[in-house]
Amino acid sequence: MSGGTLTGSDLTGGGLARRQEELVRALVAGAAMPAGFDAGAVAATQTALLRKRAEDVARTWPRLAASAGAGQWPRVFSAWAAGHAPLGSLRDGWDYARANPPGDAAATRELALRELLWTYDGENSPRPRRGPAARLHSGELLIRWRGRALTFRTR
Amino acid sequence: MTPLAGRGVGIGWRPEISGFVAELPGLRFVEVVAESLPHSGEPPEALARLLAAGVAVVPHGVKLSLGGAEPVDPHRVEHLAQAARAVNAPLVSEHIAYVRAGGVEAGHLLPLPRSREAVDAVVANVARTTAELDVPLALEPIAALFEWPDDELTEAEFLTEILERTDALLLLDIANVYANALNRGEDPMDLLNRLPLERMAYVHVAGGRIHGGRYHDTHTDPVPGEVLELLGELCARQRPPAILLERDGHYPPAASLRAELDALSAATGYPVITAAPVT
Repeated sequence: MSGGTLTGSDLTGGGLARRQEELVRALVAGAAMPAGFDAGAVAATQTALLRKRAEDVARTWPRLAASAGAGQWPRVFSAWAAGHAPLGSLRDGWDYARANPPGDAAATRELALRELLWTYDGENSPRPRRGPAARLHSGELLIRWRGRALTFRTR
Repeated sequence: MTPLAGRGVGIGWRPEISGFVAELPGLRFVEVVAESLPHSGEPPEALARLLAAGVAVVPHGVKLSLGGAEPVDPHRVEHLAQAARAVNAPLVSEHIAYVRAGGVEAGHLLPLPRSREAVDAVVANVARTTAELDVPLALEPIAALFEWPDDELTEAEFLTEILERTDALLLLDIANVYANALNRGEDPMDLLNRLPLERMAYVHVAGGRIHGGRYHDTHTDPVPGEVLELLGELCARQRPPAILLERDGHYPPAASLRAELDALSAATGYPVITAAPVT
């Protein structure tokens, strides 16, 4: 054992729900690792989980991922995401973008288009915005019409 | 008759490779990530065309969390059942794993402790799921980089007991068998010799790579020769009714994917699907 003790209920069964929750919190949400697990194997799992999340988010937020520079996205996203429990690639990317506002034009446009179509309070799942709307973003007119984005260059 | 008998070599359908998949002349079955199918029930147009051409579509769930101590979410079960109806599936599949607990999502498949309590949890959740399904369910053992510290059962005992108590079919991932054995320092044949291989509905094959001294089942790398060899060993004992290549990113050129599909045909003796069937 690598520290900690197993209680009687652990050894005789029972407590599966609690033990599963402790493990998942330790793997993705920064909680302490329960006793007895192989630290190296768990760390490798955490790294692999973060890399998979980074790839998922890059599919949903391709411009945001590209804005990190060639080959840099898995590293920069993982550095932010470690300890942030996964909320799905749409929210993970959105939260990352709000915490680390992108500097490049393609990524800020990607974020602006998401903000045009969805309302997201950072706490609950994003919901589609209703009704038509128009925004001006970096010389481009972004129109929301029937749930879709239409874009027009204005200069 | 097992649901995929005669279906031979298939591939995991993904939007990124739908054009490639559509042009496989001998294709008889694909898998689709169940959660990617729309709630409305209408499959994407590219899948609908495959269905019209007689290709079987198997919804493959990844987020049901059958191994969770908590009961499966009825909405997720209903979606899986609806997905199966929408594509007229011969069966559906899911994993022996958990993906969330206490409201926290892992974002991936996590291993279960090999305990009697975990067997009970899986059996109960499989029962809740199959009660809503019109078709058989196949269960897939996962690859994991770590194990729980206090396993009561061997992997073969754990899986066999679940299969016996649920009447579920086995979706054996031969790359997962390879990965776990390599990372645990075991002989993969020990597990194959102890599993009820006659329960196989189909087999998964995927690529991976060694990273930091461990084999990672990435689905984004080529299928190693050792995995193909193990597939050959499996076929020597019991040829699976059908076999499916999974690729989930870093898609290679079409020629490389075709070569991997042909390698599955060579290892199993099933017809090549990358060329028009001989009639």
